[in-house]
Amino acid sequence: MKLKKYLTLTRAGIIESLQFRLATVVMVIGNILYLIVVYFLWKAIYASSGTDIVNGMTFSDTLIYLVLATALFNFMEMYTVWEIGRSIQSGKIVLDLLKPIEYRRYLFWSYSGSFITQFFFTFLPTFIIVAAVTHGAIHLGLNLLFFVISVVMAVSINYSIDFLVGTICLYTESIWGINIMKQVIVLLLSGATIPIAFFPEPLKTIVYYLPFQSIYNAPLSILLDGTPQPQTVLVTLGTQLLWCIVMMILSRLFWKISLRQITVNGG
Amino acid sequence: MKRKGLGFYFRIYCKILAQDLKSKMSYRADFIISTIGMIFTNISGFISFWILFRSFPSINGWSYYEMLFLYGFSLVSLTPVQCFFDNNWSLRQYVYSGDFIKYCFRPINLFFYYQSEVFDIKGLGQLAFGIGTLAYSWAKIGLAFTPLMLLKMIVFLITASLIMIALQNAAAATCFWIQNSFYVLDLAFRFKDYAKYPITIFSPVFRFIFTFVMPIAFIAYYPSLVILRPDEVPLLSWLSPVFGVVFFLISYRIWMYGATKYSGTGS
Repeated sequence: MKLKKYLTLTRAGIIESLQFRLATVVMVIGNILYLIVVYFLWKAIYASSGTDIVNGMTFSDTLIYLVLATALFNFMEMYTVWEIGRSIQSGKIVLDLLKPIEYRRYLFWSYSGSFITQFFFTFLPTFIIVAAVTHGAIHLGLNLLFFVISVVMAVSINYSIDFLVGTICLYTESIWGINIMKQVIVLLLSGATIPIAFFPEPLKTIVYYLPFQSIYNAPLSILLDGTPQPQTVLVTLGTQLLWCIVMMILSRLFWKISLRQITVNGG
Repeated sequence: MKRKGLGFYFRIYCKILAQDLKSKMSYRADFIISTIGMIFTNISGFISFWILFRSFPSINGWSYYEMLFLYGFSLVSLTPVQCFFDNNWSLRQYVYSGDFIKYCFRPINLFFYYQSEVFDIKGLGQLAFGIGTLAYSWAKIGLAFTPLMLLKMIVFLITASLIMIALQNAAAATCFWIQNSFYVLDLAFRFKDYAKYPITIFSPVFRFIFTFVMPIAFIAYYPSLVILRPDEVPLLSWLSPVFGVVFFLISYRIWMYGATKYSGTGS
């Protein structure tokens, strides 16, 4: 019974996201364009470096990493900050808070339909194309299983961070600025735009101690590691799990405290 | 209707600008946070740039400082579109809700009145950042600094801006025909991220596409060649001011055509 109410939200989300077909077409064009630019840019970088392996990654490694990072981004970007911010500005949040379901869960599950459509329509095709085109540069074995586990935790961490930042909107009522700051920090420090292997030394160490690298860098490096050592996989997944729990507690706690602050203009 | 002169429009612009700034100042927190967000975006863009290119003396025959010059050039040339044409982002909401009809009843140029309503001060931070980057790379490359160079620089910066403005106008105008034009606008906006790379890194096919089909190369590459490589300026660079004006006029026509076809929502 309990699961049913969540799955209803999922279903509504799937139907809703299938409504915007034109948006999907434009998004796919945008992504292809981005990947073309990325391809030629990194090709030029590898050509000028003179070696085949830069920072422990070959050209095809880097390319697979970046292509899948883009696919993961489409899959994970939930626009939570916008959603919360707009609900606060319009007053809709009052109605959502009255629902017999925790707000944090409600928001997640009402978005989960898009996870499913995004997974089948963008992530899976991208993954299959990349795997086919690169002829076995992606090792197909146990690492796939670790990858899936890692992505699930990445989704959770990403959502917690989004929710935490969205909660700030309760105080500031500014959406654009808060959202752009979050987006810029997460995309850069998670290794979504540049693999963390390329970061210079002090920065790299700092980034590994932050939660962001668990979102993109962790699942992708697990996937690309052809000969996984049990120890590295365990450390990566363990770090993710730790951040998963920490961020979840933090975002819940912050939301609970902030809810007392709420002022809503009409509704 | 009598045609109004430039002086008239200038006076009107100042009056509307003052009103806009006053209304922005009443949301001071939002303004400050948005400005910080904009600074974050620029810093992160610069860090990404530095991480990518710091370890290579040159990419595809372009030295680090020449790449930096291109980057600064694109930042400065993107400022006008950010500052003066930011209202394009709201166009689809005005059209959708029917509020757009209010602009149709003013005895001044519709396009002018609509765009003048919002002035985005955040863009000025980007301008300062861009000028700083340009000046730094200018000094590092050891380019001469003469009044003629400065004049060329200004002319070609305006050229580059016109291209981006034209792209954004045309993208925003699609909302007169399709419902959800946000994705189209977002796609056009993402072009700016690709403008900072020299077009020579692409294969001939894409060089052609990025020059004639999607004129991304005119946002920074072709105009800046006039300053950067004065000995081997291609014809396209000299022609870019013409292209800029032509593109702008075309986009203005599309925008106005859409606006005059607009029939309101009936409310």
